[in-house]
Amino acid sequence: MSEILDPSLAPHGEQKIAWAADRAPVMAAMQDRLERNGDVAGRRIAVVLPIEPKTALLARILADAGAEVSVTSPPSMVHDDVAAALAGSGVEVLARRNMSPDDEQRYHGMLLDRRPEVIVDDRADLITLAHTTRTEALDDLIGATEQTTSGIEVLTRLDAEGALRVPVIAGNDARCKHLFDNRYGSGQSVITAILDRTNLLMAGATVVVVGYGWVGRGVARVAAGMGARVTVTEIDPVVALEAHHDGFDVATVLDACGTADFVITCSGAHGALVPAAIDRCPDGVVLANAAGIDDEFSVSDLAGRASTRRRVRPEIDEFVMEDGRSVFVVGGGHCVNLSAGEGHPVEIMDLSFAVQGLAAAHLARHGTEMTPGLHPLPASIDEQIARDKLASLDITIDGRGREREIR
Amino acid sequence: MTVDDAASRSRIADISLADTGDERIAWVARHSPVLNALARERLADGAVSGRRVAVVVHLEAKTAYLALLLAEAGAHVVAAGSNPRSTNDAVCAALVRRGVEVHAVNGSGSGEFDGDLMAVADTAPEIVVDDGAELTTRMVRHRPDLLGGLRGVSEETTTGVARLRAMDSAGRLVFPAIAANDAACKHLFDNRYGTGQTTVQAVLALTNSTLWGAAVTVVGYGWVGRGVAQYARGLGARVTVVEVDPVKALEAHMEGYGVGSLSEVLPGSQVVVTATGGVDALPAESVALLRDGAIVANVGHDDREIDVGALRDAAASADEPRPGVERLRLADGRTISLLVGAGLVNIAGGDGHPIEIMDLSFAVQALSAHHLASHDLEPGLHPFPEKLDCAVARTKLETLGIRLDEAASTGDTIRSEWVEGEDT
Repeated sequence: MSEILDPSLAPHGEQKIAWAADRAPVMAAMQDRLERNGDVAGRRIAVVLPIEPKTALLARILADAGAEVSVTSPPSMVHDDVAAALAGSGVEVLARRNMSPDDEQRYHGMLLDRRPEVIVDDRADLITLAHTTRTEALDDLIGATEQTTSGIEVLTRLDAEGALRVPVIAGNDARCKHLFDNRYGSGQSVITAILDRTNLLMAGATVVVVGYGWVGRGVARVAAGMGARVTVTEIDPVVALEAHHDGFDVATVLDACGTADFVITCSGAHGALVPAAIDRCPDGVVLANAAGIDDEFSVSDLAGRASTRRRVRPEIDEFVMEDGRSVFVVGGGHCVNLSAGEGHPVEIMDLSFAVQGLAAAHLARHGTEMTPGLHPLPASIDEQIARDKLASLDITIDGRGREREIR
Repeated sequence: MTVDDAASRSRIADISLADTGDERIAWVARHSPVLNALARERLADGAVSGRRVAVVVHLEAKTAYLALLLAEAGAHVVAAGSNPRSTNDAVCAALVRRGVEVHAVNGSGSGEFDGDLMAVADTAPEIVVDDGAELTTRMVRHRPDLLGGLRGVSEETTTGVARLRAMDSAGRLVFPAIAANDAACKHLFDNRYGTGQTTVQAVLALTNSTLWGAAVTVVGYGWVGRGVAQYARGLGARVTVVEVDPVKALEAHMEGYGVGSLSEVLPGSQVVVTATGGVDALPAESVALLRDGAIVANVGHDDREIDVGALRDAAASADEPRPGVERLRLADGRTISLLVGAGLVNIAGGDGHPIEIMDLSFAVQALSAHHLASHDLEPGLHPFPEKLDCAVARTKLETLGIRLDEAASTGDTIRSEWVEGEDT
């Protein structure tokens, strides 16, 4: 039985899902495949992901292919109309926008009560729960797949301790996920979220990108595309050298911040933007966090040291420091494209969720043959996803056999 | 004007929204260094004091700030929007609460919109800051009795300047007008970078889609088209330009864009943006050429750049899957998504131009209004004075901490003096 805000919101949610479906050819191909091969038919699948049109499409495809699907979401990321549409189409939905932490906990528990055979997880919350206080859930669990970089970090630690009792696919590490989602998806949606909320100009502005992993690369590239002068800060010398070869200025975070108009943290490291760096920023600097973790810079430290804090526009807080400088934070220091925007574009999530859906199907079919611990997504599945996307674009490529012939 | 006077003469949606409007305007004020320094200083000489000034430009926070600076300098300001879709009701409320008379309500029909503009005309403005020549055209057509008191018009857009030029050719421009749009500090920045950035933003925000690898066609390669093409490329699109002017088409080719005719280009386009500044950039016959799934948007001044009627007539059904997205299912099965009914996508579907850009544009407008107030110009179309243009650019550079070299004297010699018997 679903627990949602209001079933009558379903028609509006249906429209949103239909819009996403129109722009999701890879998930459509996945749907065909799953309905033909029966890999998930009759399987109990638990999904923890933001409930919005793109994830709803994934849940519905799994359900249409015969799986019993139950879903919940982080509280701030629920579209109640989408939840209603999903609940009306045979998926169990346990989520309301801004539900209490108690409800969130309860829903996680309820998902495990369903004794799922496969878990599609976000930040490894449900996998962790099944390995700690709810270990009886492991009896039926075949395996799990994880969506985020930060979830993979948790799972890598558990794996190193030998604590993982089931096979877990590192969905995030699939090429069709991180090369596109983390780079192009974050790049676009982080920059547009900042510009949409601030109504400011990036042409000629100095944008400091803290961290040059896949997210940082995407953010730097889109900022440059918007006309910014980009400075990258890195601690890994090889990566810093790459940033230099990509044509960006490279500097220490303290030096870079001295002339920053915008500072965007993308490192995935706690406290990457230290208070001393924020103190170097000119009056009026705009700070935003693009990483999955919330404390790349400390909003509470900023608030503690500021003489005034006030909201100046939706999603923008001004901190007036002791020396009179103003520092503006977009999206409360949370991942800005989700907290102050609509998340990734549909076409990107089409790839990411095809990874998740096919990883879940792979576990349903082959999980019992896999050893406990962290696994990559099989390369053949990764490549199939790319082939489906290319086919939808009418792009044909040469086969590997042809390469050999030429040699 | 007292606040009560302003309130009783105005037509706005809801005065209780004024606090939100004030916040919006304060954010603009913070990011408008040129208006804050140069414009405020020039306006302080009293030239506009006591003058009736009409501001008829997309009525949101940036325009409101311009109106307030003129009012602060002593002008009697009356404001209206140049398009009912772009009016921000909270900002209108804030203006009225500060004593500015406003005639604008978001989403008004064309009858109400006309009524608002005629109400502004009724105040017998001496100076008009216009957009698309919307007020000027109406005054010339319907209130010729008021043209004798008109010291001048300052026009914001390419389209409006074209309308004024047509008026001039027809002998109807019996008052001075300044082509503010043609100021370097306006069109080089506003039309190109401002529209470019915000058009791409609006298309992405409305659709939650992406431009990476997408085939984007820009119809029209004026300053707006150049900006849209540049920013679309910056976000990963493969850009093709459609242009009727052979020189501009050649420029687009040299920039590395694909160039072709509508009939060649449309069948492969995933996103089509019209930016010609005319009408019928996408005429009725282009409907048959659009690709299934295409997203169509306009960023030219006139909604009629796209033949929306023909598009809707071809649709067997339609729905609105997301706010501002009209999805038309054509009889042959193709689906076309039209953004914000072919209104200016960056304004009707977004927050309008970035503040820093409008700081430049409205600094031009403020100085232009000041120039009209302090000079008795001949009737006809005038350029924005070059030394004022330079002053705007210089002020902006100063606020950025950018210093320039003085022009070298030898350079001047080469350019301006012929020296007999010497190699230069």
